[in-house]
Amino acid sequence: MGNCLKGSAADDISLLRGSESAGDSVSDHLGLPPPYREAVPVYYPSPNISRPVNQLTEEEQVKIAKRMGLIQHLPTGSYDGCKKNRECVICMVEFLVGDNVRYLPCMHIYHVNCIDDWLMRSFTCPSCMEPVDAALLTSYEAS
Amino acid sequence: MSLIKEPLPGVVVDGDQAENLSLWIIHMTGAEGTLYEGEHFQLQFKFSPKYPFDSPEVTFIGPNIPVHPHVYSNGHICLSILTEDWSPALSVQTVCLSIVSMLSSCKEKKRPPDNSFYVKTCNKNPKKTKWWYHGKICVTSYLCIIDY
Repeated sequence: MGNCLKGSAADDISLLRGSESAGDSVSDHLGLPPPYREAVPVYYPSPNISRPVNQLTEEEQVKIAKRMGLIQHLPTGSYDGCKKNRECVICMVEFLVGDNVRYLPCMHIYHVNCIDDWLMRSFTCPSCMEPVDAALLTSYEAS
Repeated sequence: MSLIKEPLPGVVVDGDQAENLSLWIIHMTGAEGTLYEGEHFQLQFKFSPKYPFDSPEVTFIGPNIPVHPHVYSNGHICLSILTEDWSPALSVQTVCLSIVSMLSSCKEKKRPPDNSFYVKTCNKNPKKTKWWYHGKICVTSYLCIIDY
């Protein structure tokens, strides 16, 4: 089976970070990554377990790849000024109209960047702790 | 900061910590009508660069460490939200509330039974301890069961 996580670092980063990959490869050439960014992408096969991409077992790689796929199935939108959800409880910053937000099946919303970072560690809603995969399945069955 | 706007009774943030945002000291007073009424405690919060995706390291510090079945005499706290049940939606305020409530529900002031062994052998960072939480029973990696 193809290995979608190992291999060239630039490719891994492009999967996860999009356009930032260019910046990372530049820092790779210089050999001096900025202190706040890991030179090798780090993944979280389970909460509290962080591992550089090149040390993941095959099982963990499959789990992470599936996770990334599931996250992409969660709807996103731009914040419409809805009064019920005023702030992203992860970064504690108030939503601005037009902010990129992601909707979890439990209808809690977060900034896309904030929630994606968390979901890669733990596939639960930070507010109600509902497991996202179970809820996703239920919502598919219902519709 | 909501801790200042909506303070919890008996919980005060040390005002003089503008220089170091990754280390907070919280002053806490035992709630009225509990075993800890009138006692003063200090809590230290250490935030890693990955906060809020990583839980803060929370320990009791100072001269008065509460005598409680889930608090070791070195200040380490056995509380699941500080490790595996952490959520980025939790804040300093909600963690303080959990700790106040943990103290308040205590029926008998005593140290965890494995206190002396744990304190001698543990890592300085409580997050390095493999805590086992089973409902009301707290089991550390040293397999000592706290009858609580």
